[in-house]
Amino acid sequence: MELSESVQRGLQSLADPSVFDQTSFPALLDVSFRSLLSSHADSGVLDQSELKQLDQILLKQSHTAATTFILEAVKQNADKSTVSSCLEELTFSAERIEIFCSTYQKHKKELEHLLASIGRQPPHVNDVSWRLQYHMKNGQVDKVNEPFYLISLNAESKGIPEDINFTCTMEQLQDLVGKLKDAAKSVEKASQM
Amino acid sequence: MLLVLSEEHKEHLSFLPKVDVAVVAEFGRIALEFLRRGTSRKIYEGAARKLCVPVEMVQHGVEGLMFLMTESSKHMISEVDFLDSVLVLGFGEELNQILLQLYLQHHSQIRSVLTLLSSNMPAYHNVEWRLDVQLASRSIRHQAIPMLTLRLLLTRGRDGSTDHSRVLQTDPSTLLHLISTLEAALAAMKTSHTRRILRNIK
Repeated sequence: MELSESVQRGLQSLADPSVFDQTSFPALLDVSFRSLLSSHADSGVLDQSELKQLDQILLKQSHTAATTFILEAVKQNADKSTVSSCLEELTFSAERIEIFCSTYQKHKKELEHLLASIGRQPPHVNDVSWRLQYHMKNGQVDKVNEPFYLISLNAESKGIPEDINFTCTMEQLQDLVGKLKDAAKSVEKASQM
Repeated sequence: MLLVLSEEHKEHLSFLPKVDVAVVAEFGRIALEFLRRGTSRKIYEGAARKLCVPVEMVQHGVEGLMFLMTESSKHMISEVDFLDSVLVLGFGEELNQILLQLYLQHHSQIRSVLTLLSSNMPAYHNVEWRLDVQLASRSIRHQAIPMLTLRLLLTRGRDGSTDHSRVLQTDPSTLLHLISTLEAALAAMKTSHTRRILRNIK
């Protein structure tokens, strides 16, 4: 993994037992993971009692370095050995590497999810609701007497729900279902390759 | 069902027996053209000049004809009912027959034009699909997420020809759920309850 100089320096401070002792090391690690996973930015995230006695600028540098490192590792889908060898090069002790890796493994899936949700995507369809109605007459035409469906596709775009409503006749609905079934068949075939 | 014509309407149509039968046929043609394309003042003026009558008279006559045709088509009235409704205008037999012919020849066309007026909900036109696998994005690499991209084509209400397309996405398990839900919707048409209603309300 390629890391910038400032990240490397920040991590080296974190590795140094004279800067981060036995209590402040796991505390900073915990804070780093938490600040990535929580949905609100918390400016007081570094106001932990275990971290009070440290030089605040150094603390911020290490925090930034740690979070950058974690994100880069998740982005590249780095496995335990890659992370370990990287930390080893940055003078982390075996014990600290072990603590880091186990926390990393614990939160990796959630972080992957978070990163995957960033970016532009078309609205995602989650559900569909339907109504069958019988059209008898309207303001312009009398004696229509045709059944029709009102379909509502419930989609979501970045958590904001968006509904797509349209009408269709039975033949059109059969066409829609037929095409969706073709798509499902191709998914099944592709999964068997 | 008989059409009830208002006094004003009858007055507008009273212009028709005063002119030649051929002229009435011509007015009928103009009326249908106007229903399809919209009115044009010039045609009224031209006809008024040729017949030496005021423009309003021609306009009312043609509009009266248009309204007679649309109301008849809207209610799908039978031949007999149409003739009975027109009888109240006191026209001659020949004129009545011309009006009837006009109605019979064009009522389905007029109905389809009227139907276009009434649709105001987007209607399904087509769906295109594509199976993709997302491999990476700017924020994360090493992905393998299967996804289905759908392009839904809808026709937007009034102007039946305008297609409105939406690009949507779904995953394979949601796709299977959509299919089973919509198949249940199709099955609803075949229940005895639905069949009974469709049979009896005609």
